[in-house]
Amino acid sequence: MNSRPLSIPVILGTTRKGRMSTHAARFMVEQITELDGVTTELIDISKLRMPTDDAGDGIKDPAFSEKMALADGLVIVTPEYNHSFPGLLKHILDSCLKEYIHKPAGIVGVSAGPFGGVRVIQDFLPVLRELGLVNIFWDVNFGNVAKVFDESGNLLDQAFVGRAGKFLSELIWMAKTLRYGRDNIALDS
Amino acid sequence: MAKQKSKMICPKCGAEMNHHADKLIYPASTEDVKKINAALGGMIEEIHGCPACGAVESRRSGE
Repeated sequence: MNSRPLSIPVILGTTRKGRMSTHAARFMVEQITELDGVTTELIDISKLRMPTDDAGDGIKDPAFSEKMALADGLVIVTPEYNHSFPGLLKHILDSCLKEYIHKPAGIVGVSAGPFGGVRVIQDFLPVLRELGLVNIFWDVNFGNVAKVFDESGNLLDQAFVGRAGKFLSELIWMAKTLRYGRDNIALDS
Repeated sequence: MAKQKSKMICPKCGAEMNHHADKLIYPASTEDVKKINAALGGMIEEIHGCPACGAVESRRSGE
């Protein structure tokens, strides 16, 4: 087996001012940081160069591309905007393709209301599939997010530690398994 | 089974890469439309991973 640590970056998928998803994304980074053999970082899409006069490969940010290429799995933290994902999140995800193939992605849904992003997650699954990412069957749903974190981002509901743990266990199993496949199993074998 | 093709060499570390996926790419320009595999409705992008350093590369099938 390859001994490189697994890389599981967390993508914060909104650029909106005052976004509560920041707290959820930072919480996920903290949970991953506690895991042995796994590295992570927060990728805030509001910090990326994101031209809107082209799309796909045409707007590829080299640093983002490199991070996606070296990632073994992704945690995507997304709020639910009008029952779907933020357009700018899809805009940036669409800028890469080869970087994602045969890597798992888990979605963390965030909503001000009670549903915890279940609709954005449902909407997101076919997009991830077409990008070559592999969906996992655990999600984390931060519903009523203003009650889950205080204004400073401190977690108020400790149940999310356990939920995030189950989500990450599945994601990391998939990341290890798919890395083995990418490294060792040829398409025609 | 696809025919054997030359292995890609990792441009970062020189290791032999593993061809682990073929992705169907739909044409996004009139130029691409001329290149599609009519039976598949698009172009095949081969995806190669480097077991040594984790780099990812791709190439169009047939190149």
